[in-house]
Amino acid sequence: MHILLVEDDVELAGSLLGQFREQGYQVEHCADGDSGLASACRGEYQVIVLDRMLPRLDGLRLVRELRSRGVATPVIYLTTMSGIDDRVQGLEAGGDDYLVKPFAFAELLARVRVLSRRPANANEAAIRLTLGSIELDLLKRTVVRAGKHIDLLPQEFRLLEYFARNPDRMLTKRMLLENVWGIHFDPQTSVVESHISRLRAKINQGFEGDVIQTVRGTGYKFLAPH
Amino acid sequence: MRPTRVLKSESFRSAALFATLFLILSWVLLGVVYWIVDDTQKSALVGSIDADINTIRNGYREKGLAEAIEVVHQRLGSGEYSGADLPGGYILLRDTASGSLAGNLQRPENFRLGLFKFSVPRLHQHDSTVNVLGRGVYIADGVYLFVGRDTGQIAVTRMRILKAFAWIEAVAMIFAGLGGIFFSVQFMRRIDAIARTCQAIIAGRFSDRIPLRGSGDELDGLAIAINNMLDRISTLLDNLRQVSSDVAHDLRTPLTHLRNRLEEARQKSVTAEDYAAVVARAIEDTDHLLVIFAALLRISQVESGSRLSAFSALSLSELLERIYEMYLPVAEDQHQVLLQDIQPGVRIRGDGELLTQMFSNLIENAIRHGPSGARILIRLAVAGNSADASVEDNGPGIPADERDKVFRRFYRLTGSRSTPGNGLGLALVSAIANLHHAKIELRDNRPGLQVLTGFDVV
Repeated sequence: MHILLVEDDVELAGSLLGQFREQGYQVEHCADGDSGLASACRGEYQVIVLDRMLPRLDGLRLVRELRSRGVATPVIYLTTMSGIDDRVQGLEAGGDDYLVKPFAFAELLARVRVLSRRPANANEAAIRLTLGSIELDLLKRTVVRAGKHIDLLPQEFRLLEYFARNPDRMLTKRMLLENVWGIHFDPQTSVVESHISRLRAKINQGFEGDVIQTVRGTGYKFLAPH
Repeated sequence: MRPTRVLKSESFRSAALFATLFLILSWVLLGVVYWIVDDTQKSALVGSIDADINTIRNGYREKGLAEAIEVVHQRLGSGEYSGADLPGGYILLRDTASGSLAGNLQRPENFRLGLFKFSVPRLHQHDSTVNVLGRGVYIADGVYLFVGRDTGQIAVTRMRILKAFAWIEAVAMIFAGLGGIFFSVQFMRRIDAIARTCQAIIAGRFSDRIPLRGSGDELDGLAIAINNMLDRISTLLDNLRQVSSDVAHDLRTPLTHLRNRLEEARQKSVTAEDYAAVVARAIEDTDHLLVIFAALLRISQVESGSRLSAFSALSLSELLERIYEMYLPVAEDQHQVLLQDIQPGVRIRGDGELLTQMFSNLIENAIRHGPSGARILIRLAVAGNSADASVEDNGPGIPADERDKVFRRFYRLTGSRSTPGNGLGLALVSAIANLHHAKIELRDNRPGLQVLTGFDVV
């Protein structure tokens, strides 16, 4: 997979380049907005990782320019601007995700992986998601596993839906909070863990194994059952 | 106060403008009065002239020229013509055939006909002239009659009207001038008070405020608005100072821990496992620091009021129901009971994201500080125009003397320093409530804590 990293902080860029390459990614690096835009328009990238404050052309304008030229490559911002307005502005400019510095590399990696398969996932409007033996009806909001009906609360259903849209991907706690609950702060209680344990109990009941795998210190992975 | 400043002042200028306008209007009025009086007097004069002409003409028609001359003499003998009563009158009667003549006019003015005006020497003082208005007619073939009156009375009346107006206007101008100066000085004193306060604040006396007169007029209104603005600015300044010193003090502690840990590792760690353990702890320490940073930033962002632009009408009922569902399993895992009594369809204006954070903080406080078995109730009800949302628990509560302190940044309840938390949760709650102009109150729930918030219903 190809990643474009546009970041003017040499130390951070060096560290990210090393870690992405270790994960088997091909990464190209630009240190300013102008060359970043040129590369983004030229290259075939699956994801662009973009610093918001860049010399010459700032991140917001870069994304606007990119979108106006018809380049739809997913963009994730890396930024020190943590305000609510900053995030909203970033997404309105045409960005797809927003990660505030400093961050754990695992968090960035998980988000890049989810973003990279977005274009292929054209069935966002589908009314039915099927993962192995689990079937979600998004209109009726019902779940059936191997013919057995499973009763879920609305928030549990949304959690499962998000898992089902991103199977076999690492999903961090923060990603779940943002995408399932629309929450952009860190709760001081175990909100995610509690809901996961309820969902896990309901969906696993009567079946072998666990479809939701916990990755310690990082997040969760949904494994489609057979 | 320098006189030129008063004359240049806006209030004096407008007083002058209105005085000028009054002057122009009074001149118009003067013109109208002048014309009406003049016209009335002239008509009266012409009326009496025509009456005399008719009398003389009738005398002539009934009894001939001699009778007409007799009437003329009679008229001339009366006070009206003799000049004994001002202004005096003039008659000329001339029969062309006989050449006989009667009257007190020497020059017949070429036997002009119709109404006309001319000047003649004054009756008893021949060195001056008077203006005479009269009518010349033929009362029979060859018999010319002129009857005229001195117009002096009209001139006198005109003079009186002019004088009266001159007096009135002089007095009005003096009042306008003095009034203008008086009000300008009054106004400028109060403006100067505002300017002095601004100067004082520029000079660093931030607590100075504009004095109020208590009259409730527009200048007092302005002063109140400016004072409120100054209060707000000074609150923001205080906050800023507070944040700076908070950051300096309260971040120093975790930074010290972090530094000590690393130093200790350098001195004592031997194996790779030792180092790995220290690194893990160090990352935890930095994460804790980052949480504090994020909370502080969020608080000051909320307090700056910049989120007001993102306000929209939203359903507080749905928001609270979502939060209830979100924390239901969390409380269950702590063996606590989370209950709700939420009136549906309650709408307020606000920022959904911040309100979610505010109520999450309150519920998390109740969950984290409450013992196993505690009951937590989320309540929403409309009372009058107020949407009252509360979070009630039967946990340890907050002692009465500490209730107003807990909204401060980094404030930790006495004896709770060892439990996790950074003392910023309620500070953020208070900032979000203030942003929404919501009242917030902590009450004793006997036992436990009741946090009451009141929002304006849309």
